[in-house]
Amino acid sequence: MRVSLTIFSLVLGSALPLAAQQNGVFQIRDLAFGTVFPGVSSVISRTDAANSGRFDLSGKKNRDVQLTFVLPAVMTRTGLPAATLPLAFGANDAGYSPTQAVGNQTVTWDPRAPQTLTLPNTPNPKVSIFLGGRVNPAVNQPAGSYTGTVVLNVVFF
Amino acid sequence: MYSTKMVTVLVLGLMAASAMTLEAQNNASINVTAAVQQPITVTAASPLDFGTVFPGVPKGVALVSGSAGRFTVTGQASAPVSLSFVVPANLTFGVGNNLPITFTGSWNGINDPAGAGVGFAGVTAATFSGTGNLYVFLGGTVTPSVSQAAGAYVGTVQMTVTY
Repeated sequence: MRVSLTIFSLVLGSALPLAAQQNGVFQIRDLAFGTVFPGVSSVISRTDAANSGRFDLSGKKNRDVQLTFVLPAVMTRTGLPAATLPLAFGANDAGYSPTQAVGNQTVTWDPRAPQTLTLPNTPNPKVSIFLGGRVNPAVNQPAGSYTGTVVLNVVFF
Repeated sequence: MYSTKMVTVLVLGLMAASAMTLEAQNNASINVTAAVQQPITVTAASPLDFGTVFPGVPKGVALVSGSAGRFTVTGQASAPVSLSFVVPANLTFGVGNNLPITFTGSWNGINDPAGAGVGFAGVTAATFSGTGNLYVFLGGTVTPSVSQAAGAYVGTVQMTVTY
């Protein structure tokens, strides 16, 4: 009876870490608006190969994932004087590529809402999430560098 | 004792079953960045002044003249901009007294009228200097008629600068 209990515990102990290691989300590229001018809105498309934001996901084949962005409403100026730069996201600003190609985004959505996707039915699938957006500087927007943070939360089922 | 061990096995089994379906969560973050350039400021530095004019005698003001008009503009160093103008066809005095006028212009990154020409019918491409300065000079010619009414004629030139 004692030997049976020991074997069962060893099996239980090894199962969980193996499942966790196969799922992951990784930051790959910042969303970069570059140079913007006071009073002139600037848009970065999710299909912009150099400036769109990008996350990569790895997971189990054919499994669902739920994606939820935490998006800032403004970017903040570095240094003084303090200032904020309005930032906006809308329909089709987020995209999913099962092949990790910015030009092959098979699902697009409004990143302000959660999105559930199914990972490809291939061994150890790796996919990418792309993000675009818009900045709206005021006509008297103080010059300088502005930054913000976008978080992508992923639930692997 | 036998019953206690069976219960222990059962509990461990239930825990294992629920752990296999537990959702794994992950998150990652990226930065969002932008560099806002200097806003544009435009100053009317000097008026275009034809001084004394005689009926029937056209008079011009060259861009290099001290009587030429001048705008000074500041903005983002080395940034390209567009210049556009609204200019009158006539200077006016009182009611119904028109003095025809035509304009010439130039822009430069330094305070020197010997720069590139500007057009008044459309948009002119210009560039701020490496220190964020831009100068626009205005000259022109008035053509009074032989019966031009005496008086002080005035007009307004509006310049718009955009990135």
